[in-house]
Amino acid sequence: MSAEAFGLKTNQNLSPAVPILASNGGCAVDESSNVTLSPGLRTDLLDLDAWGDILMTYGRTIKVAVALTDCDGRLLGKCHNVQPVWKLIRDATPDRGAGCPFCLSTRPPCTAIAEALQTGEAVIAYDQAGLTHVAVPLLLGKQQLGAIVAGQVFDRFPEPLALRRVAKDFGVSAQKLWELARGQRPVSRSVLHASSELLGALGQAFLRQRYGAIFQAHLAATNQSFRSLVEGVRDYALFTMDLSGRVTSWNGGAERMLGYADADILGKNFACTFTPEDIQNGLPEKQLRKALRAGRSVDEGWRLRANRKQFWASVNITALLEDGGPIRGLAIVMDDATERRKVANILEEARQARARLQENFLSHVSHELRTPLTAIYFFTTNVLDGLLGDLTREQREHLSLALENVKQLKDMVSDLLDITRVETHKLNVEPQHASSAKLINEALSTCRTNAEAKNISLRSEVAPGLPFVWADPARVRQILINLIDNGIKFTPANGSITVESRRFAEDDGFLCLSVSDTGCGISPANRELVFDRLAQVKSSAEASRSGLGLGLFISRELVLRHDGRIWVESQLGQGSTFYFTLPVFSLAKLCAHVFTAANLEAGSVTLIAVDVVAVEGGVQADILFEIRRVLERCIHAFKDVLLPSMSDVEPVVTFFIVACGPSAFQVIASRIVRELQNFDNASKLKPVVSSTTLLVAPGHPREEQIDEVTARIERLVQAHLLGKERLK
Amino acid sequence: MTGKKILIVDDDQHLLLGLTPRLKANGYRVLSAADAISAITVARKEAPDLVILDLGLPAGDGFVVLERMRSLADLVDIPVIVLSARDPAVNKQRALDAGALAFFQKPPDNHEFLTAIRGALGETVALSSFLKT
Repeated sequence: MSAEAFGLKTNQNLSPAVPILASNGGCAVDESSNVTLSPGLRTDLLDLDAWGDILMTYGRTIKVAVALTDCDGRLLGKCHNVQPVWKLIRDATPDRGAGCPFCLSTRPPCTAIAEALQTGEAVIAYDQAGLTHVAVPLLLGKQQLGAIVAGQVFDRFPEPLALRRVAKDFGVSAQKLWELARGQRPVSRSVLHASSELLGALGQAFLRQRYGAIFQAHLAATNQSFRSLVEGVRDYALFTMDLSGRVTSWNGGAERMLGYADADILGKNFACTFTPEDIQNGLPEKQLRKALRAGRSVDEGWRLRANRKQFWASVNITALLEDGGPIRGLAIVMDDATERRKVANILEEARQARARLQENFLSHVSHELRTPLTAIYFFTTNVLDGLLGDLTREQREHLSLALENVKQLKDMVSDLLDITRVETHKLNVEPQHASSAKLINEALSTCRTNAEAKNISLRSEVAPGLPFVWADPARVRQILINLIDNGIKFTPANGSITVESRRFAEDDGFLCLSVSDTGCGISPANRELVFDRLAQVKSSAEASRSGLGLGLFISRELVLRHDGRIWVESQLGQGSTFYFTLPVFSLAKLCAHVFTAANLEAGSVTLIAVDVVAVEGGVQADILFEIRRVLERCIHAFKDVLLPSMSDVEPVVTFFIVACGPSAFQVIASRIVRELQNFDNASKLKPVVSSTTLLVAPGHPREEQIDEVTARIERLVQAHLLGKERLK
Repeated sequence: MTGKKILIVDDDQHLLLGLTPRLKANGYRVLSAADAISAITVARKEAPDLVILDLGLPAGDGFVVLERMRSLADLVDIPVIVLSARDPAVNKQRALDAGALAFFQKPPDNHEFLTAIRGALGETVALSSFLKT
């Protein structure tokens, strides 16, 4: 859409020009998409200096006086080619703002002007004095801008007194003026009429030319101001590039930030601002592709200046689109965030340092608290256990309460340390193969004393045939005990607490454990808060004895570190249920690094069974852990996997290893024999090592191969344990 | 009464006072040392059957004692149970690697602690005989 093309159209709405003019407040669009011109633009269009020349030329040629008026017939600027006699009659200088200078009648508006604007045609007016003047409208589309009025010279003789005054005004002698006046030929009405069309066309053409000129000037100004805006941005690098990533424009900020002059960078690929490692990793292409595909790519990373110095940049690439059209190029805004990053790093370091300080402090406090706590514990239990003589019933009761408090203190000290570990990211879990049922029973037996004191019944409901979980047993016990103790605290006497374990309905890779109580419940507002640090629900008689309020916070952190979720459902007055999920143990997950397609198809994966047989009797449960540690030393920690125990203690204890490598079996078997001998120098244990190679059909998808091999291992393990089919 | 000798190495006299009656009640004789140097001296002189060792000690910490014991032929076979207020996350593995048999954080559970002592003394499970009887 060019300005010329627009300017030459007539009687059309101006809407195409709206976007640019509107940006300057030049015009606005009404409901029927007509353009309303602002007063400023009207003034510009009717600029008196610009119109002056053309009006004067016309007036002189046709020998009429001519002037510009606004829509109401008020004179704009001066009347051109004014003639003395005419002027005399008006008896005043026709000035800006006066009414139609040609109407004898003093009452505005001039009917000719009004009619001309309404009809869009030239209108000739005759007044009662026999004067003729013509009004032609100035229209831009449907917009009325004003009119040009041209008038016939008055042909009556002036009065002498007035003549002298006018002569004086014009600086000529009265005699001369008289001659001038007498020499004037009135323009005939027909000539005026004929030339009115010329005047109309002239006015209309000039108006459009003016509009075009204004439009152009405006466009140029907008362009210029945008360019100086872009150029003036010093703190950001702004540049554009074509679809292949070649730089097409470059602002002062870019030159300042990246150190390339315009001439050095234009046409170069923007990859030159990336570090060699990023280029090697294909980052420039990736970002380009993303911006082309998604319209935008945002990134933070190291970039290189021309002098090869690195800086931390925040980069935003945007695709340049025309409405609905293809991408024409890409614009990049780059911000040097090195300082910001430095500050953020310093803040983070300060935070870490503070957390470390806190951890050191708490670790010290915990240590210092534990020493006297230990003495109190020993003295209390010594007396309580009757080591120092018999006790009365009351003495025993008091000491039992003292012991309860010692245990509470001990838990609080542990919680304090855990919470600091959360902040220093040191709260770790060591997941292993564990039974949720067993963990629940252990937790329940720990909490039993507390529950019995309030006559609260503890129950567990574990769905049959549940898989094992992959979790840290000590930590899961801690979570369960936290939740159960919490339940006991907020459940009135004679209530009940139920601990359940079942498959998680939303994700069969998880079990869902829950602890339900029949306590006071948690209001919806507090439900969000209970897992917060130091959260404590007020208005409970027990609140004063509810510990540090860290239990649920730590529980949540522990669940999250198991990749699980924790949440609460509750009804006021009816009780609460806390749920958390734990991942199901998966052979495929545990052995993922062994079960590669290459290993499986090459047949280098071996299942090894180690049966530890006692020469006489059975193997003591207490040393299973020790044997496991011996076996762990016999395998390659990064290549082989020692499977978790698949069964409870048997007369013969069996361990399974998934090993990888062509001669894995021989190497591991000889190591096991040697190491167990070292460990068991009395030779009362006899290891029997057997193996089976696991091979899958090649060419199947890896998931299928893994499913096949894990199913096979499970079958083999089961058959081996049941003695049905032993490995060889 | 086995009359086995247990050496408690701890600088906290109250711990000694609190732990001694329980050990005695279980038939052990109790010796004590309050710092790293006397721990070695007493151990060499008395040849205890078990050492209960604190980690924070005057004149060199518990790890120094463990190291020293492992380098002396007459002490190398004496089982050591560490009983310390220190954080097990940091110290347990280190203590086991240095030759301790078990690590207990203070305060220990009486029952578990005694079970470990019995185990270390070979009264229920000896390291050299893992068999059920």
